[in-house]
Amino acid sequence: MTNGSPSESAISPGKPGQSTAVHVRDVTMDFGNGALAVSNASFELETGKFLTILGPSGSGKTTLLRMIAGFETPTSGEITVNGKPVDSAPPHRRSIGMVFQKLALFPHMTAAENIAFPLKMRRFNPKTIPGRVDEFLDLVKLGGYGNRRINELSGGQQQRVAIARALVFKPELLLLDEPLAALDVKLREEMQLEFRRIQHELGVTTINVTHDQREALVVSDDIIVMDGGRIQQHAKPVDLYRAPDNAFVAGFLGVASFINGHAVPGGLASGENFLSGTHAGDFADGTAVRGAVRAEQIRIAAEGGQLTACDTRLTGTVRDTIFEGERQLYVVATEEIPGITFRIYHHDPESFGLFEIGTRVMIGWNARDMKIFESRAS
Amino acid sequence: MPRDSEDRSFRYPLKWRIMDGLNAALDLLWPRRLGRYTGWALLTPALLLVGILVLGLFQIAENSLHTLDTSTFLPGEEYTLANYLIVAESPTYWRIIWRSLLGAGLTVFFTLLLALPYSYMMVRTNKAALRKTLLIVLFLPFFIGQVVRAYGILIVMGSSGAVNDALGLVGIEPIRLLFNFPAVVFGLVQYMLPFAVLMLAPALTAIPRETETAASSLGANWLKVFRHVILPMAKPGLVGAALVVGTLSLTDFAMPAMLGGGSQDFIANAIYDQFFRTADQGLGSALALLLVALGSVIAGVVIAFFGAGTLGMRGRK
Ligand SMILES: Nc1ncnc2c1ncn2[C@@H]1O[C@H](COP(=O)(O)OP(=O)(O)OP(=O)(O)O)[C@@H](O)[C@H]1O
Ligand SMILES: [Mg+2]
Repeated sequence: MTNGSPSESAISPGKPGQSTAVHVRDVTMDFGNGALAVSNASFELETGKFLTILGPSGSGKTTLLRMIAGFETPTSGEITVNGKPVDSAPPHRRSIGMVFQKLALFPHMTAAENIAFPLKMRRFNPKTIPGRVDEFLDLVKLGGYGNRRINELSGGQQQRVAIARALVFKPELLLLDEPLAALDVKLREEMQLEFRRIQHELGVTTINVTHDQREALVVSDDIIVMDGGRIQQHAKPVDLYRAPDNAFVAGFLGVASFINGHAVPGGLASGENFLSGTHAGDFADGTAVRGAVRAEQIRIAAEGGQLTACDTRLTGTVRDTIFEGERQLYVVATEEIPGITFRIYHHDPESFGLFEIGTRVMIGWNARDMKIFESRAS
Repeated sequence: MPRDSEDRSFRYPLKWRIMDGLNAALDLLWPRRLGRYTGWALLTPALLLVGILVLGLFQIAENSLHTLDTSTFLPGEEYTLANYLIVAESPTYWRIIWRSLLGAGLTVFFTLLLALPYSYMMVRTNKAALRKTLLIVLFLPFFIGQVVRAYGILIVMGSSGAVNDALGLVGIEPIRLLFNFPAVVFGLVQYMLPFAVLMLAPALTAIPRETETAASSLGANWLKVFRHVILPMAKPGLVGAALVVGTLSLTDFAMPAMLGGGSQDFIANAIYDQFFRTADQGLGSALALLLVALGSVIAGVVIAFFGAGTLGMRGRK
């Protein structure tokens, strides 16, 4: 990942997989209001890759992205794009396309004029501009909407204009701040795949910000999970899902249940009970830990049923059941571990609605299904 | 009793109860079912004021149709357009009209030129202290009034005023800065600046900073951002400010009178002369109507072409 000297990157910015497009070194942003918006963030992004920054609201995603764009100067740390510090050129000379969280379209122009704007500003051949604008209108499925004014477009259509406007001049780096947030689920999924396709086609290095974990998993080569201004984990989607570094990441991707306890060999102890699990890292027995089990990895059966395959078994009562279409969610309170409820997904349509609220059930999992992390001070 | 107050421990705050009382009183005075006339009732004072103005205009129109009988110094009996003919055939009046128009036009231009960066700075700065300073500097002269301000200009720019003293220090002979056309425009610009800034500031506040950032990330340098984003988006404010500044300058009396020294009359000064010096009401009225017509036509043309700007509020055009 770290090959390519600055000078080499500067010469061949367009070749994927060869050089570092974005290098963030120890970046901190302090707005002076108590908490650090971004704290000691470091990462590298290879040319042509698609990185998603994922995190809950207020975790510092926008701030980090704006610093990479060079619109905000970090309190400390350094950011280079294609080997050069971002702020070495004024904003209009950088080849960075950005879709802003609040879109920032030009209300006094039509959709087509908005998309033509960067082409005019960057002195593209005037003869090619109309054709190119149409091409990108089609790309974001807005063919025929070119003459609409911005206030005559729906929120989702506006968002797509913003995307086309940021892409049309083929920037070296594309920064997206939750560009799909206003779209309906179907269109969003379509656009996610579309993004993936466009990104592959144009080979443009992309950083996408979202709090939609599904979107992150679908479109990205790499994901960075942020919380409280800190990078929690930087990994490939599959690794992030399979091997979260800490309890926050485990809980943020997918649905999980958490059990606090003390580390014991082969699992954790919660009160009198031993629960089997896998330690993520080396820690001494007795360390305060937090175990996480994903909802789809907990088995559920009627009381006295067959959960012989599981090495941890608990008995409890169904407290709530939610039908989510392709799956059924059960919320179960157990006798062994009072004070917490387990969330369990059932994916077999045949047995949806099997357990009513109040039914006595048995739940269980295997050691590899529960990840055990060291409890953090926070 | 104490039990009772304990049961009803919750009491509405005093402010709410006062407001409720006021509401009840209002309901007695102006019953709810008259509600749909409330708007008209509130409009009435303004309509009355405008009505008085219109009555006055009719009176003036009637006056303008009688010439002054020089033997009796009273308006003549018969109706005639002679007053308008006098104006039309007099090179002096043409010059005055032309001067008023040019003066108003130049004042609009320079005022907007100065007000735009001023209000932009005021709206965009992150420093509260700078914003407040800009506001105070703007409004201090605003409170002083037109006449005193003109007098201040007379003192500072007079032949032995501070400006000429300063010029003298670098070896320049005293020059006549006052009692000419530029002096009048200078005074008007100075007078109009706060109005223009007041009208521009909301329009500029309405432009999100992010929109400018976006424009620069798309390849526009600051000049292009200004030309393609700020200027068109501030257009409503600019049009509104131009209308206000233009009409106020076109009809101004004090600046031409005081800084023009009698040689730089605008239409309002000519009207004043006819009414209060020559006592020729007919001619004065004709000039007054001409001014009303001129102002209305110009404002009408501007609104037709650019819309009423912030004066027209939300409506398009
Ligand atoms: N200009 C600013 N001045 C002061 N504080 C700010 C500023 N911008 C952001 N913050 C603070 O920094 C933190 C991170 O904000 P940021 O906008 O980066 O969050 P985010 O991850 O993008 O959230 P969301 O998903 O809601 O957009 C927040 O606590 C926010 O209040
Ligand atoms: Mg954000």
